[in-house]
Amino acid sequence: MIDRRLFFNVDWVLVATTLVLAVIGVAMIFSATHSGRHADLYMKQLYVVGVGVLAMFLCLLVDYRRLADRAFLLYLLAVGVLVYLLFFGPRIAGTRRWMSLLGFQVQPSEFVKLVAALFVAKILADSRQETLGLRDIAGPGVAVGLLALLIAAAPDLGTAFCLIPLFLSVAFLAGLRMKAVAWLAVVLLVVGGIGWQYALKDYQKSRIYTFLDPSLDPKGAGYQKIQSQIAVGSGGLLGKGWTQGSQAQLGYLPARHTDFIFSVLAEETGFVGVSVVLGLYLLLLWRMLDTAQLARDRVGAFLAAAITATFAFQVVYNVAMVAGLVPVKGLPLPLLSYGRSSLLSSFLAVGLILNVRMRRFAN
Amino acid sequence: MRIYEDLRVVQGRLSVLQSMVVGLVALVLIHFWNLQVVRGRYFRTLAENNRTRAVPLAAPRGALLDRHGRVLVLNRPSFNVVLTPEHSEDLDAAIARLSRALGLGEATVRERLARRGAPFHPVVVKTDASLEDVAALEARRLELPEVAVDVVPLRSYPLASAAAHALGRVGEITERQIESREFEGLEAGALVGQAGLESQYNRSLMGRDGFRRVVVNSRGVEVGEAERQPPLDGPSLTLTLDSALQTAAEQAFAGRAGSAVALEPETGEILAMTSVPAYDPNTFTTGVDAALWGKLSTDSATPLMDRVIQGQYAPGSVFKIVMATAGLEEGVISPSTTFYCPGHLSVYNTVFRCNRAAGHGLVNAQQALALSCNVFFYQLGIRLEISRIAAWAKKMGLGAPTGVDLPHELGGLVPSPEWKQRTQRVQWYGGETVSVAIGQGQVSVTPLQLARLAALIANGGRLVRPHLVRSVGGVPIPIEPAPDLALKPATLAVVRAGMKGVVAEGTGGRARLEGVSVSGKTGSAQVVAKARLEKNPSLTAIVPHGWFVAFAPSEAPRIALAVLVEHGGSGGEAAALAREILAHFFGLDRAPAVVPSGRTADIEAATP
Repeated sequence: MIDRRLFFNVDWVLVATTLVLAVIGVAMIFSATHSGRHADLYMKQLYVVGVGVLAMFLCLLVDYRRLADRAFLLYLLAVGVLVYLLFFGPRIAGTRRWMSLLGFQVQPSEFVKLVAALFVAKILADSRQETLGLRDIAGPGVAVGLLALLIAAAPDLGTAFCLIPLFLSVAFLAGLRMKAVAWLAVVLLVVGGIGWQYALKDYQKSRIYTFLDPSLDPKGAGYQKIQSQIAVGSGGLLGKGWTQGSQAQLGYLPARHTDFIFSVLAEETGFVGVSVVLGLYLLLLWRMLDTAQLARDRVGAFLAAAITATFAFQVVYNVAMVAGLVPVKGLPLPLLSYGRSSLLSSFLAVGLILNVRMRRFAN
Repeated sequence: MRIYEDLRVVQGRLSVLQSMVVGLVALVLIHFWNLQVVRGRYFRTLAENNRTRAVPLAAPRGALLDRHGRVLVLNRPSFNVVLTPEHSEDLDAAIARLSRALGLGEATVRERLARRGAPFHPVVVKTDASLEDVAALEARRLELPEVAVDVVPLRSYPLASAAAHALGRVGEITERQIESREFEGLEAGALVGQAGLESQYNRSLMGRDGFRRVVVNSRGVEVGEAERQPPLDGPSLTLTLDSALQTAAEQAFAGRAGSAVALEPETGEILAMTSVPAYDPNTFTTGVDAALWGKLSTDSATPLMDRVIQGQYAPGSVFKIVMATAGLEEGVISPSTTFYCPGHLSVYNTVFRCNRAAGHGLVNAQQALALSCNVFFYQLGIRLEISRIAAWAKKMGLGAPTGVDLPHELGGLVPSPEWKQRTQRVQWYGGETVSVAIGQGQVSVTPLQLARLAALIANGGRLVRPHLVRSVGGVPIPIEPAPDLALKPATLAVVRAGMKGVVAEGTGGRARLEGVSVSGKTGSAQVVAKARLEKNPSLTAIVPHGWFVAFAPSEAPRIALAVLVEHGGSGGEAAALAREILAHFFGLDRAPAVVPSGRTADIEAATP
């Protein structure tokens, strides 16, 4: 039974921020889809918000340390699911990202991020060394790399990339020597280069090429970037008004209710809306990292940091992508984008953070 | 008491991560400021262009009506089959289905699609489609969502080839026209006037196209209308032509080549103008067929040339009107001055012949005109000299375009020593003056100039500007006052009497009408120049062009005209043709033909 005193230590600011962002998400999804064939998507998202809140609080019942103790088991389960998906998963839109669970379409990679966070936090917290060298993090690095590879093979490059900041931030907190940090940067560059040569599919390469020069293919891969930039820019200071964005409403924006939901927000609510939402995200991330500061042990701090790093990476990358700063990748904006797995995973992530924070005084 | 872990290193490094997050979010926010606030206006324009698309609404061209309001040119609704490739999911299948439905070759459809303009603009696959085509497409509507049938106004010329040159034709705007200032604002595919009045009054006739600004989605499919500016129909033009007289003139030619133009002498209003052979402007309205164009433009009978304003011929004896006027006005001769005609004149080491080998004896100006005596005018020419002849020819409207409201009018030529020196670097020689005196040699005129010359004698010496348009959209075009040459009454009296004599007892007898007195002058234009004749004697077989200019009734003229029959020999045939036009004008169509008596025609020879 949960200690009633713990309830008072729940970070209500974080809960409130999360809920406000999720509701803004629902409103933007309504705006993006209300005139189309799937006008009811916002309702679906709303249900998931309810389920998510429930899951977030359920997640509080179990001590994060008990979860971390089972991290290795969860890791094996994750590998198993990803391998199964790769070989037997249904092909949807050319990828094998989804599987059917209890009649719902589930994207396991969204939850694998949480497993990875628990796993990395647990392993590195247990290392108990003052400083770490490259050799010390090689083992966990390979383990996380395997997850990333399996996700990338789906293919789901965006989610796979999320594991990199996750792992690096925890390694950094765990005392990775600065020399090792520098080495890691070099290794990443080399791997990146090789990956470019051999691992990227043609459509991924062309996305990057057209990112560098969108006019190469204005109706093709460069189209998304151009149209999203037009949507964002034309929003101006105050925006065109909710449900009044021409780019969003007339279908110029690709994936406007999922990966490009922030583009709809920027067009319809302008720079003011962008500032408010980015402010909310900053508050969210700040509270999350605060939790890491306040955590009573390394596992808690590392877990909070790992989750925050993933979250921060997704938010910054997605928003930068919408603004045309980075190449287009299939990466949802946490809490705002339409997507049941992504939303549920975000709520669970917040739940884990709350879990760490409320048990900061407990034995 | 629990012993807490030492988390100081962790907490220190967390601060680094914290500031990194703040820094990244701040950077992103600055970028959004730049996009949305600094460059907001630029992106708003882009979004607006994305969102809306202007669809032109073609304004129907104004109709052309004759002076009594009868329709000469109008628009009829026609069907264009258009295809928008962007709306197609499987273009190849659509092309196959469409070509089957229309009975067109797939290659034809593809060729048309290859010529397309901007994206999302429909491409015309077939113009002026038949009702069967439209029905076939309606039946396949669901299979061919990318195909539409547009109703567009098409130019129609009910008179077919009658007055074809005056009315003109329309055609697709050419590349060069698009670049010219005259056609500013027009796009490829626009129909513009390409000849005649259609070209001259193109801007006015076109009206102003309207447009619909439609809201489209990212697939270019229309989802709403943002703005509509209705087209402003082109105003109709009321012409000076009389379609019945025009038809009479066309019929009078009966297969012969030539031209006829009739004016109202007081105003210069053109009552009829015909140039044959002609073409049917209806064949151009849906775009020029290359084969047909090639045939028309290389035809040696030059059906595309408007002979009334572009045919330049020697005026022949018609020029004697100018000579007599000049002589009397300059005081070189008086009405009673006579010259003796022995049938020829030997001067400048050349023998210049008269049209009557036996000679006319003693003749005055009036008689010389009526009988078309060459010797009288040789003598007069020698006395006037070329400079005064040229000056009077120009005063009377020769050697320069008349200013008719038609494009590409030519001016003919009035030769002078200066002109010869300038163009040929050769001195004028006296014998040439003798040739010019009877309208041969280098003089050339258009039929319209000679019709105006007839009008000038008829109206008492005023040089009217011939014109075809009375009013634009009901607003009359003011007639500018015609310059008055202030001819002496005696001059006019002599010339008029001479011209009356031409029809009553002279060379133009075939133009005689019962009940209406006609004044006229015959002439024949040599086709082959003297120099070419000497090299190739067989060319003498070529019959000269026949002229007849006239006005009627002689006492109070209501019509002046010029008729040219190519290779019509002397002016007799032209006079007969003019008679038919005049008969119609005076409502004497069914009256029995007057059998011409006495002389038939003048046969001139400027060559020794």
